[in-house]
Amino acid sequence: MKPRIAIFSLTGCEGCSLAILELEDQLLDLLGAVDIVNFREGMTDRAWDIDIGFVDGAVSTPEDEKEVRHFREHCKVLVAIGSCACLGGINTLKHYQGATGPKGRGAIGENGSDAYRRYVYGDKAEWFPTTEARPISAVVKVDYELPGCPMVKEEFLAFVTSLLAGRTFKLPDFAVCVECKKRGTLCLYEKGILCLGPVTRAGCNAICPAFGSKCEGCRGIVSKEALVAAGINLREQYNVELQEVLDDLRLYGAYQEADLP
Amino acid sequence: MLDRMLTHPELLELVNELALQRRIVGPVARDGRYFYEEVTRATDLDLTFNYCVYSPRGALFPPQETLFVFKRTNGTFTAEPVIDVRPTALVGVHPCDIHAIRLLDHVFEQDQRDEHYLSRRAHTMIVGIDCQRPCTEGVFCADMETNAADKGFDVMLYPLSDPGATEPLYGVVYGTSIGRDWVLYGRRGRIPTATDERTFEQYQRHKTDAFPRMLRMKADELPALLDRSYDSLLWEATARRCYSCGSCNLSCPTCYCFNILDETDLSGTTGRRERTWDGCHLREFAEVAGGHNFRPKAGSRLRHRIYRKAKWIRQRTGLPGCVGCARCDRACTAKINSVEIYNQLAEEV
Repeated sequence: MKPRIAIFSLTGCEGCSLAILELEDQLLDLLGAVDIVNFREGMTDRAWDIDIGFVDGAVSTPEDEKEVRHFREHCKVLVAIGSCACLGGINTLKHYQGATGPKGRGAIGENGSDAYRRYVYGDKAEWFPTTEARPISAVVKVDYELPGCPMVKEEFLAFVTSLLAGRTFKLPDFAVCVECKKRGTLCLYEKGILCLGPVTRAGCNAICPAFGSKCEGCRGIVSKEALVAAGINLREQYNVELQEVLDDLRLYGAYQEADLP
Repeated sequence: MLDRMLTHPELLELVNELALQRRIVGPVARDGRYFYEEVTRATDLDLTFNYCVYSPRGALFPPQETLFVFKRTNGTFTAEPVIDVRPTALVGVHPCDIHAIRLLDHVFEQDQRDEHYLSRRAHTMIVGIDCQRPCTEGVFCADMETNAADKGFDVMLYPLSDPGATEPLYGVVYGTSIGRDWVLYGRRGRIPTATDERTFEQYQRHKTDAFPRMLRMKADELPALLDRSYDSLLWEATARRCYSCGSCNLSCPTCYCFNILDETDLSGTTGRRERTWDGCHLREFAEVAGGHNFRPKAGSRLRHRIYRKAKWIRQRTGLPGCVGCARCDRACTAKINSVEIYNQLAEEV
C-alpha cells in the first residue's frame, strides 16, 4: 500500500506547500509512489489517517498550537518544512518590534495587544490573538526538518525517496561555502559582502550567492562552533559590530540560539 | 631550449583549430576575476590572466559526477559505468596547477586505478603558460618549487614579450608528441633564433629574482618541522577562528578527497552512484559508523590538512602536496593563512 501523505500549513506564506506543486516534472512520479490525502494548498479532500505529515508555517497563534497538536496525533511521521516550521522563520521578527525585553525582544502576552499587532491590524488587533512565534518542534515532537525559505523542493523529493526506500535521511552538516566552491561562485567576501554562508547549513546549492545575493541563513545555523568563529572573525578580522550580525541572523533565525561570543 | 615561436594571433588560430576537435577550457574573465570555463572560441580566453580563483582540477575531477547508473528489472540488477571520453584541452594552465595535476595523476593511478579520472585525463591535453612573476600577493610557489614546470604538459608557452606589448610573443616548449603535432601540423609560428634563445635565458634569469621567498624554511624541511609541531598550541589557537566550512579544501588544486552517495528514483528501480568533493575540514569527514569522529575539533582538522599538504603527501609520493598557489589562504574568510602557520611553527621550535 502506498504511504498516505498530508501537507499542512500554519502561519506562513504556504510557499513550501507551493514548492511541492512546483515539482512539475516529478509530480506524476510522486503521485505514483504516495497517496496525498490532505493538502489545503492542492485539493479539497481531508482525510486524517496519515503516514507522513508535512507542515509549513510557524506556530504563532493559539489556533496554530491546537492544530499542530492535532497533526501530531494523526501523523505517524511528522516533518517540518521550510524556515518557519523548522526555525520559526521571519515570523519571529515580531519579537523584536515595539517593547524591549531581554536581548531586545518585545514581550508578547497571551492575548497582548502589542505594537506590531496594532501596526498590522489597527483597531482590530484584539480580534487576532497571537503568541510568541515558534518552530513546531517547540510544541510537538518533530521527526524530520527540511529547512529553507522556501524549502528546497529537490531535498523534499530526496527525503521522500529515502523514506520510501527505508534509508536514513540526513541534512547536510556543512556550510553553504561548500556549495559555492562546487559551483565555482566567487566568494562574496571578495566583494566585501559579509555573507552568512560560513555559518549556514548547505543543501540549497548556494543559490543566493550564485546570483550575487548574500546568504541570509534561511536554512539555519550549521553549528554552534561556526557561530562562535563568526563572532571572533567579524570582530577581529572585519571590525563589524556583533549587533549587525545578530540583526542579519535574526531574519530567519531569531528563535535559534544566536549567542555570539 | 625553445621548440617554436608563436605570436599571439597565431596561438589564437591554433586554439580555434583545436576547438574543432576538443572542448576548450581556459581562463575567462568574470566578476573582475578569472575562472576556468568552457569556451568555444579562442578570443573568449584571456591568457593575460593573473590567476584563476579556482584551479582547473574540476575539469578532470568534477565537483559532482555519476560513477555508474543501476537498474533493477524483474529481479535482475544491472549497472553501467559512466566514463567521460570527451576530448578536452586545458588551455592556459600555470605551473603550480600543472604540478597539482601531476599529483592527482599519481593518486588516481595508484593501487585501485580510478578509471573515471584516468579516462578524463587521457583525453585531456594541457597547454601550460608560464608565470614570469608572481600572479598575485601571498603566493609561495617559489618556496614550494612549483613556479616552473618541466613536465606534466603537452605544450608550455613562455610569454617572452614585455607585458602590454602590442603583439605578445610566446616561446613554445613541447612536452609530448600531441602538443608538438598540434603546433607543427597547424603550420603556425617559426623556428626560434639565437636571439630568441637569449631572450628566453634573460626571461629565466629575471624570473628567479621576481618571486619572493615567503617561507622561513625550504619545502623539504617542512616534514621535519611538522614532526616537531604535532603538540603545538598553534593548532587550537588558530582554529578558534575556523568555521570548518571547507573552503580551503574545496579551492585547493591538490585536494582529491571525495564522498560517495547512492541516489535512487522514487520507485527505487533505477539509480546512480554519485561522487562529490569532500574536505578534511568538514566536521563529518572523519566520522565513522557508530558516530565516532577521529577529528572532532577544528584544531585537529586544521593540523591534519597542513600535515597532508606539507608532510604526508610529500613523503608518500615525492611530489609537492601543496603547490603554493595560496588559494586556501584567499578562500578563508577567517583569514587563516598557511604561510603564517609554517613561519610561526618555525619560530616555536
